[in-house]
Amino acid sequence: VTAGTPATPPRVGRAVRLSYAVAGIGGVGFFVLSIVLLGVWPGRALERDMRALSPDAPLGLTASEARGRRVFAREGCAYCHTQQVRFLDADVARFGAPTLAWETEVEYPHLWGTRRIGPDLARQAGVHSDDWQFAHLFAPRAVVPGSVMPAYGALFDGSPVRPRQDARDLVAYLGTLGRARELAGPEGEARAQARWARADAHLRQMAFPSAEIGHPSRARARGAVPAPPAGLSGPTGDVERGLSLYAVRCSGCHGARGAGDGEAAAWLSPRPANLAGHTYAPRRLADALWHGAIGTSMPAWRDYSPSDLAALAAAVARFSQPDALAATNAERIGHGRDVYAANCAQCHGETGDGLGSAAAAQRVAPTDFRGQRANRALTLEAIRRGVEGTSMGAWADRLGTQDIEAVADYVQSLFQADASTAPAPAAERTP
Amino acid sequence: VTASSPAGPTTGPDVETTLVHAHGVAALTTLLVSVSFGLVAATSLAYPDLIDGASWLGWGRVRYAHTQGIMLGWLGNAFLAFLYHAVPILSGRPVTSAALGRWLFGWWNFAVMAPGWLLVLSGRSQPLEWAEFPLPIDAAVLAGLLLAAVQFLPPFFARGLDQLYVSSWYIVGALVFTALAYPMGNVVPELVPGARGAAFSGLWIHDAIGLFVTPLALAIIYFVIPAATRRPIYSHFLSMLGFWLLFFVYPLNGTHHYVYSVIPMEAQQAAIAASTILGVDVVLVVANLLLSLRGSGLLPRDVGLRLVATGTVFYLLVSLQGSVQAQMAVNARLHFSDWVVGHSHLAMMGFATFAGAGGLVHAWQRIPWARYNTRALAWSYWLLLGGVVLMVGDLTWAGLVESGAWSRGLPWMDSVEAARPFWVARVHAGALTAGGFVALLLGLTTGPRGGGLEALANGADAPHVDHVGPRFLGAGESA
Repeated sequence: VTAGTPATPPRVGRAVRLSYAVAGIGGVGFFVLSIVLLGVWPGRALERDMRALSPDAPLGLTASEARGRRVFAREGCAYCHTQQVRFLDADVARFGAPTLAWETEVEYPHLWGTRRIGPDLARQAGVHSDDWQFAHLFAPRAVVPGSVMPAYGALFDGSPVRPRQDARDLVAYLGTLGRARELAGPEGEARAQARWARADAHLRQMAFPSAEIGHPSRARARGAVPAPPAGLSGPTGDVERGLSLYAVRCSGCHGARGAGDGEAAAWLSPRPANLAGHTYAPRRLADALWHGAIGTSMPAWRDYSPSDLAALAAAVARFSQPDALAATNAERIGHGRDVYAANCAQCHGETGDGLGSAAAAQRVAPTDFRGQRANRALTLEAIRRGVEGTSMGAWADRLGTQDIEAVADYVQSLFQADASTAPAPAAERTP
Repeated sequence: VTASSPAGPTTGPDVETTLVHAHGVAALTTLLVSVSFGLVAATSLAYPDLIDGASWLGWGRVRYAHTQGIMLGWLGNAFLAFLYHAVPILSGRPVTSAALGRWLFGWWNFAVMAPGWLLVLSGRSQPLEWAEFPLPIDAAVLAGLLLAAVQFLPPFFARGLDQLYVSSWYIVGALVFTALAYPMGNVVPELVPGARGAAFSGLWIHDAIGLFVTPLALAIIYFVIPAATRRPIYSHFLSMLGFWLLFFVYPLNGTHHYVYSVIPMEAQQAAIAASTILGVDVVLVVANLLLSLRGSGLLPRDVGLRLVATGTVFYLLVSLQGSVQAQMAVNARLHFSDWVVGHSHLAMMGFATFAGAGGLVHAWQRIPWARYNTRALAWSYWLLLGGVVLMVGDLTWAGLVESGAWSRGLPWMDSVEAARPFWVARVHAGALTAGGFVALLLGLTTGPRGGGLEALANGADAPHVDHVGPRFLGAGESA
């Protein structure tokens, strides 16, 4: 193309040239406008919100947690797990209170994410135990069959019980997600309520009753309110549905036949319950499925429908292989009761309901002997050697053989299979 | 050089064919590398035990490398190749310096792409979408954009702005605004934390596509259609209207990535309004382009033109889809699902890649010494078309399944398990596409030298039109 010899010389008047100049300035102007309107101005508004809502000195990250955050960033975790709960009913019901601006103020850069292959993690603190997190990072499908999360074996020294620094940091970081908001307490939520009192319905969802900020699926204390739905403890569950659910949701920890020997069992402390070696009262199963078990790796399963949970309970009942109660007599039971009263009742409760005076101080709730009966061998084992990962110590060197056998007989005799013997709602007893 | 040869305008003495070729080969190489990263990510999602997540080829790291490679490596090089072909023709002036061109080539590929990938794979990255290369690479990218501006802008300004064809406007706009927008998403969120930083991320996520990819892809489309059909564009007025609307409205879209977030609702709604207007703008642009294609059909025999025409259709689809999914009610349901991943593949793999590949083929046809394999290119087109249709269809369907499970309140794992078959299918769609890219590479590196000119002369679609509008290709164009 030869320049400068136009066949039809374009005649561009001043008006056209002027219009290009105007448009050019307009183009730059709109770009600047976009930065001001969608970047700078929202930033100002967010700063105002944060000044109004943020606690005076929100907790930052420790050195380990900050390193864990970098691992989270490095491995692209944010590309499958958002950290941003939107103020939509569906989001709130699944992940907890919507994310406020000040909550992510420690994030350089933010990790909001735009894709959820796995669940949102904004309120992950307290949903899973550290053991569970290590096991899940090391072998995701051992604890969540069907998961598509990559296994992060390189963060471990060959086993989830030997996490490297990166894994420890990462799990420490996961434990911080949502923490600052909860620490802000009722005062923090009251401030948010006041800020959005006059706003529309969407924004009002930003503020929450302070007890409900955490992840809706987080484990709750045994017997907490609201209680499991009534249908859950009935014997009406669909066993076939329950067995298929069990195979993909429970077997990784509790084992294919419920013997507490799943692939992940050895990585968790305390170990998953040996369901085959126990007999459970329906209300106890309902409670465990609905509330989970605080201090253990057993999460709450409230995201499942009551009919699914009833089906699971029916499946678990099918695994149970109770042994015959040992032949015993009133004298031996009486001796067991004395030993129990002297040594066990503080934690396990005078009636054996697991709600003794010291129970609330335990990380893992003491066993409720009225709601579940372990087979004799398991009972004796627990008394003699204690239960790792819980406050239950070994009694073999503190009690004689006869005492141990007597107290085993006694706690086994406490079991009440009938749901009607459930203890009074424990709400007032449980902090 | 006159445009009287039946092959249409050939390269003039001003076109640095060596640099066109070098960037073309680099584009195809980085494309295959980037697609391999995509395939590794897709495969490890479908078969998650194949690769350790914390290794160099772990999911997150290849996911970062995939999109940065596609945007900066493949499209970056393809655009540069096109610019070396088009800028001298459009402006009637040579680019600033061939030596600068060699520096820019080396800089872009060995100071941006190679170290960027190495750093990301070794775990030095930033977790920001379309901005995953770490800060030192961001500086290198900005320097590269500056070199590109020095290389390509002066020819236009030497000629005077009032004679610019619309492609030139897009090129000038892209080079200026990309450099301005780039720090918004790549640097600001490292300095401004949390929600305030996210607002800037949102800006860049849209500016990357709106101010870098789209203008240069449209520059190619606006260039190739008249050059290949040898008819002027349907309406120069519509071209310019579309151009200015695009540059006014595109930057205002950003916050639609964070609907229902804590970012002020007014900003969200402004972005959603802009997204709606954008759809209208794209209808204007595409109507103009399709009217310009009248007589050539949507499947011209000239592969370059065919790629560009198909890319134009994808542009319409992806833009209308974008306008719809920005609406609050739709966004509430579909956001976070594979629907959006399908959308971005329709944009990058449909619209931008077809335009970029079309521009590359078009330029290649006009390099007298370049190899050109007609059969491989024909295969490439159909493989790519099949790949992108399967990929986008699959992900869109997956998104509907996932969001359906979410909105019904089903347990989370139900949505994962329901999506699993789609993720397996996506690997196959990706493999098909990769086959298309291999064929594209073969099409431009095997076959006889000068095969492109021969192919054009032999039967490429070039309707007998004896008039090329005065506004196309500067003023010197006459048949």
